[in-house]
Amino acid sequence: MKRSLLLTLALVAALAAGSVSTAAADTIKIGGTYNLTGGMASLDVPAANGSKLAVKEINAAGGLLGRQIQFVLYDGKTDSATNGNIATQLVSSDKVVAIVGNTDSDSALAIGPIAQKAGIPYITAGATSPQLPNQVGDFMFLEPFGDNVQAAAGAEFAFTNLKGKTCWLLWDKGTEYTTLLAKYFKSRYTELGGKVVLEDTYTQGDTDFSAQITRLKALSPQPAVLYVAALQASDAGALAKQIRDAGIKLPMIGGDGYDGPELVGVGGTGAENVYFSTHSLMDASSKDAKMRAFIASYHKEYGRDPESAFAALGYDAVYLLANAIKKAGSVDGKAIRNALAVTKGFAGVTGSITYQPGQRVPQKTVTIVAIKDGAYTLGALVVPQKVPAP
Amino acid sequence: MPARTERSLVSRLLPPLVALAVLFLAVFLVNRVASPYILRVVTLLGISIMLVLALNLSNGFTGVFSLGHVGFMAIGAYVSAILTLSVEAKAVNLPDLPAWIAGTQLGFLPAILIAAVIAAIVALLIGIPLMRLSGHYVGVATLGFLVIVHIVLVNWTQFTRGARTFSGVSSLTTIWWVYGCLAVTIYVVWRIVRSPYGRSMIAVRENEIAAQAIGVNVLGSRLMAFVTSAFLTAVAGALWAHIVTSFSPASFYFAQTFNIIIMLVVGGMGSVSGSIIGTVLITVISELLRNAELGLHIGGITIPPLYGLSQIVLAVGFVLVVIFRRKGLMGDREIDLRRFFERKTHEGGAGDPDRPGQPKD
Repeated sequence: MKRSLLLTLALVAALAAGSVSTAAADTIKIGGTYNLTGGMASLDVPAANGSKLAVKEINAAGGLLGRQIQFVLYDGKTDSATNGNIATQLVSSDKVVAIVGNTDSDSALAIGPIAQKAGIPYITAGATSPQLPNQVGDFMFLEPFGDNVQAAAGAEFAFTNLKGKTCWLLWDKGTEYTTLLAKYFKSRYTELGGKVVLEDTYTQGDTDFSAQITRLKALSPQPAVLYVAALQASDAGALAKQIRDAGIKLPMIGGDGYDGPELVGVGGTGAENVYFSTHSLMDASSKDAKMRAFIASYHKEYGRDPESAFAALGYDAVYLLANAIKKAGSVDGKAIRNALAVTKGFAGVTGSITYQPGQRVPQKTVTIVAIKDGAYTLGALVVPQKVPAP
Repeated sequence: MPARTERSLVSRLLPPLVALAVLFLAVFLVNRVASPYILRVVTLLGISIMLVLALNLSNGFTGVFSLGHVGFMAIGAYVSAILTLSVEAKAVNLPDLPAWIAGTQLGFLPAILIAAVIAAIVALLIGIPLMRLSGHYVGVATLGFLVIVHIVLVNWTQFTRGARTFSGVSSLTTIWWVYGCLAVTIYVVWRIVRSPYGRSMIAVRENEIAAQAIGVNVLGSRLMAFVTSAFLTAVAGALWAHIVTSFSPASFYFAQTFNIIIMLVVGGMGSVSGSIIGTVLITVISELLRNAELGLHIGGITIPPLYGLSQIVLAVGFVLVVIFRRKGLMGDREIDLRRFFERKTHEGGAGDPDRPGQPKD
């Protein structure tokens, strides 16, 4: 054991030496925490690419406060312990001025408290639980809208636009995101006067949904719409395919988890008549010049169009932070936080961001995407009339 | 065994005391000098060593190849976290708790102990039927246990928040807690393996029928190893919960199971020092590689970022270890502290009492 202790000490010393930073002092360091490998990679990689692109653009345009940005990006590996490690490392070893990253609540809850304790602002690019800022503290901000907002938009779209007065509700009870999404949807939908005729669940990793679909088919009369809260586009695609194969052609609605090429890739023709709420539509022919410019520069940098709205969220998160740093005129954590908290009308690719006093979840317009002939088209832009409490 | 009986009290007590002093000094230094990041890595390392040592007691020394130990880690984590959560945090995060739990908040030590005792009771209950099985059947059955724990965690929303993240746990785990518990774990495992119980465990592993023939209680030995190991695993799980502070049932599933098993196999099943060395090596190498993933600029040469590198290198390393050193780095040998204190090699040979893990054929 003594030898192994010496070994430990030697290796710890090596680790310490290895982690010593070599960066120049005149840069502004911004930390990036994304799960580039593991289960969250399909959402986090586009988001991380978006963030990197934004940093590159800001640096090319002369940097921030006359200094270049150094983006220190670590891979959280979709693992809570690793996410805690990288947050500690960013805060204590790299001494970043702020952190942007993550698209899921699990990781955000691993990283948030560490940034909070160190007094460093943390903007999550894509985690949408509206409870996050209150769970973590006053240094945590959401860049996207909360799930209560998108679920309310989904409910209003289903009830008003699709005229669906009855609904079948299915959710993945294996994750926080889908559980909350279904809960918020039900709350707003019943408030509108809609009726949830059957609630059903599945668990993350399930590939066969025949039991749930059989129960749906047995309903008489059939519901008018289906609301299905799925974590990932591949899950949503598989669900759509199996529901259509069972002969049910009803409109299917979901949240931003659907956003990705896998929805049509896996769902095939089953993805027709599917709608989902998301942050913006990645449309190269968009009327929005900001969107067109973003898609063009993303394509130029990575050789492909943005995979999903998460690319734009990662991009916006860095600009949102840069905007606050510019306004604060300093890189002090508290000054940046205060500047972030009063952000008003910040124009991003995914919409305009304003934080209401005391709120750290922005009010944003929800985009409803409709799948038409295998293409992602704009279904509607919804600002929900009323939003369930977080 | 003349060498053993002749040893004086001082020479028997000296090695563990010196080891304890060295450990104490090392922890003190790391705590004082190291950056919070290094401190965190070293603390997590201590927890991993506990997990691997506890698993070794059952998988390595007794030959009960459990794939379900992460289930005990989950019990340790959830039970202790519910107990240490403040009354206000309970009202927010777990509003449906029964009043008698909702109104109580325990200290860290009682919470750890209660969690570990619950895990031990669960281990006893499932161990009575499962420990009658042997070989691969135990692996499959304990894997079944892991799945059951996972499903209970996901569905018992009242206590666990279901699949949603369990957050708001106070970060009570310090390096002192971890290395204190680790020292106790090492001592307990080391003593058990060298006690008559430990010898019977090893006998059961080597040859079940022969062990039975000489009067070893096979079920008893296995159960003893399994329950002790579950207790220690739950302690490690409780410590883990209070450093990571937010987790979900997905944190205690296959990925974590394989992490621990890889550390165990690389170090060597059936060796206490092997468990420590294997865990230290894997933790440090994966952290170093993770930092190297960012890419480097050395002189004029730029190495681009390669995320995922650490997993690939570790996996290849694991395959190489399994091919070239099938019994792991240490096999069932030990680095024996006493040899550092005793210059003259005492008579040992094939029946060396300090190498009980060695097959005697």
